[in-house]
Amino acid sequence: MTSVELFLAIVKILIVILFLLNTAAIATWADRRQSAMVQDRVGPNRAVVHLPSMLVRLIVLLPPSILGGIALLPLLRGVRPEMAMQTLPISAQCAVFVAWFSLVVLCGSVRRGGAMNSAEALLKGIEPRSIFYGGVVAHAVVFAALSTVPERAVVPAAQAAGVVLALLLFVSGIYTASRVDEGTYPLRLAGMLHAAADAMKMIWKEDFVPPKGDKLLHGLAPILALFPALVTFAVIPFGETMCFESDPTKLLRGAPPPPFEWSDLGRVAHVMGPGVACRGHLVNLQVADLNVGLLYIFAMAGTGVIGAALAGWASDNKFSLLGGLRAASQMVSYEVAMGISLIGVLMTYGSIQLRPMVQWQSDNAWGIFVQPFAFVLFLTALAAECKRVPFDQPEGESEIVAGYFVEYSGMKWGMFMTGEYVELMTSSAILVTIFFGGFALPFLHSDGLNVAFGTTVVYAYKMNHLSVVIISALAFFGKTIFMTFIQIFFRWTLPRFRYDQLMKLGWTKLLPLSIANMLVTGVVLLAIQGAGPGVTGALRVAADVTQGIVALAFAAGFVAVVVGLLEPVERKRFIKSTTSRFAAAAGGTKATTQQA
Amino acid sequence: MAKMTPSNPWMKPAQRQVAGRPVARPNRTPSVQAYVPEFLKGMSLTMRHFFKNTKEMMLGQTPDPVLEALEEGVTTINYPEQKRPYPERFRGIHRLTLREDGAPRCVACLCCSTACPAQCISIEAGEYPEGDRRRGYERFPQSFVIDELRCIFCGYCVEACPVDAIRMDTGLHAVPYDSRDQFIYGKDLLMAFAGRAGDHKTANPRHEPGDPGHPGVTREHEH
Repeated sequence: MTSVELFLAIVKILIVILFLLNTAAIATWADRRQSAMVQDRVGPNRAVVHLPSMLVRLIVLLPPSILGGIALLPLLRGVRPEMAMQTLPISAQCAVFVAWFSLVVLCGSVRRGGAMNSAEALLKGIEPRSIFYGGVVAHAVVFAALSTVPERAVVPAAQAAGVVLALLLFVSGIYTASRVDEGTYPLRLAGMLHAAADAMKMIWKEDFVPPKGDKLLHGLAPILALFPALVTFAVIPFGETMCFESDPTKLLRGAPPPPFEWSDLGRVAHVMGPGVACRGHLVNLQVADLNVGLLYIFAMAGTGVIGAALAGWASDNKFSLLGGLRAASQMVSYEVAMGISLIGVLMTYGSIQLRPMVQWQSDNAWGIFVQPFAFVLFLTALAAECKRVPFDQPEGESEIVAGYFVEYSGMKWGMFMTGEYVELMTSSAILVTIFFGGFALPFLHSDGLNVAFGTTVVYAYKMNHLSVVIISALAFFGKTIFMTFIQIFFRWTLPRFRYDQLMKLGWTKLLPLSIANMLVTGVVLLAIQGAGPGVTGALRVAADVTQGIVALAFAAGFVAVVVGLLEPVERKRFIKSTTSRFAAAAGGTKATTQQA
Repeated sequence: MAKMTPSNPWMKPAQRQVAGRPVARPNRTPSVQAYVPEFLKGMSLTMRHFFKNTKEMMLGQTPDPVLEALEEGVTTINYPEQKRPYPERFRGIHRLTLREDGAPRCVACLCCSTACPAQCISIEAGEYPEGDRRRGYERFPQSFVIDELRCIFCGYCVEACPVDAIRMDTGLHAVPYDSRDQFIYGKDLLMAFAGRAGDHKTANPRHEPGDPGHPGVTREHEH
């Protein structure tokens, strides 16, 4: 292992650890925010930083300026035709997006705060939703128009699109900054600062150890709870394999490539694809590409129980002990169902390593379409394994106070909490990798976008290697965060099971069902292998259709979210009691003390 | 053998009919028993609430927590920034009203401290110096201290005051401090509070001794 490879390994570890710890903190915030919003409360959002208006202007101005600079950068360095083919659609679509997005935001703030000039007054009369629909139509029009651009006009068109995009970004940034009034602005980050303040409080809190507890084990347990959750992520691939090319002068035909050097880090391959071999070094975006893959995950997830059990034992508290015992027996019994529910998936993918699994899903269909039943079983077992609601009996506060961490306080308790949320992130990452295509996006291959159903190609768009890698990594992390969000929702929806129900569900329902799933999958796989080429071709088209469904669902979800956001609110006034009559006469809630 | 083993008090005695009517089991349809459809229903409900409330909070469209309390949506009052409207005559923390020149209107007559049932007001009166036109007519408070922990907010001090010098129209609650001595409000602090209209004076006119409208006796008059 050269020093460069060591450096890359450390960078990958840092990416994973920072992602896990930060998103765990953010997940605690998301958890509380969801609980508040589901129950019509505001939730914890009292921590605040008051920003002066100059700083707000800077914050508003900086990102568009940087993005605009990035848009202008290729123009300064000169545009090659093959590069222009790539940048033209991106710049044009981004320009359309920036245009409608800033118009919608401006329209919203004008409607709330009042128009400052005649152009804004004109904008005030337009419904924000119609601006958005106009933007969607413009996206489609630009998409159609770009396919008619002749070959020799591509370079000037790309330059023009880049300039337009940069101008739009600069103008919108400067205009927004000019609309920021004098004064201070409270920054709460929707309550995220409150979570940060809580973490700081936890660090300085008293660390209480029960006088008759086991001091060593009491300190060891939180570490043992956090550690397996962190290391499980090691085998999960979080992006396409990167190719760093070696120095062409040192590359000899027929000889093995020269060792990895520092200067190679600057030479990311331009194009990769099915037929292109990497003339240098491949770097897997994955901390450890173990050949046992999924088995390592099971092993580490099984280790997680030790932390909870030790904490329960070392605390010298009967509630703790009960919680620890519950955790141990629950995790041991769900381990079985969890393992067997995935065997069908393993048979389908034909591999136990995670990168080939993602590759299979990218080439065929996502696991959720191939093994939907296994998904439900695995999700259930995973929730039980992570001690998440509705399987959080180990910490069932209505029965055993807080279970195995009753006697913990301060940052030791915080480590249990962090471990729980890191486990949540890791389990979401496993779910994404096995059932939601991992870092793969529909129709996105290592050489670019290729929308094809069977052998009929609908749309193709070449992309360079680096952008594919970045998009795949972003897709993986985005999917993981989304999956975490969904998993947190279980907590605010489901009531906790009784403990006997939990055991019954695990042993008498999940286990037989997962065995049945395994058998049926085996039979179907054998049948498909024995079937003719017609069936295989039909399945291939069906697989591409599922990819299309995913892409369409994503687009439809985006449109639905934006339309929902722009939907106007209609309110009725309820004046029932004399008190509310008085409040109505006084004009409702007051903003300041002096008015109240 | 003669001794019977005591029966388990938690078990119902064997071979005895259970008295009373059997309770009907809840309606267990297949969809309830299968759990997943009900689970999806619950998820859709919580998600609907979540997205609606998040959107309204982020875009500043939350309902007025006082007027639209029955409307769906977040109905929390963000207390220090938002308040319920208080009645016009709500008795808050005291303030000492000011004269035109910024001195307290208080003439240190001790009416308020006498009227106070909680005995929370303590005034040390001072005499104006020789030659001051107010000397002999009124005194001034050298110190004016209210213990806001003792105060029962009855408003008798306000009613007792002959010169409209003490008022409870600040609209403020006593703030939760972290030590008792911080609740002892001195003269300067009481003078610093403004009324709900934002001013430090009162609408009632004040007449200095010697002014033509001064209601009291003058030095020239005989008693």
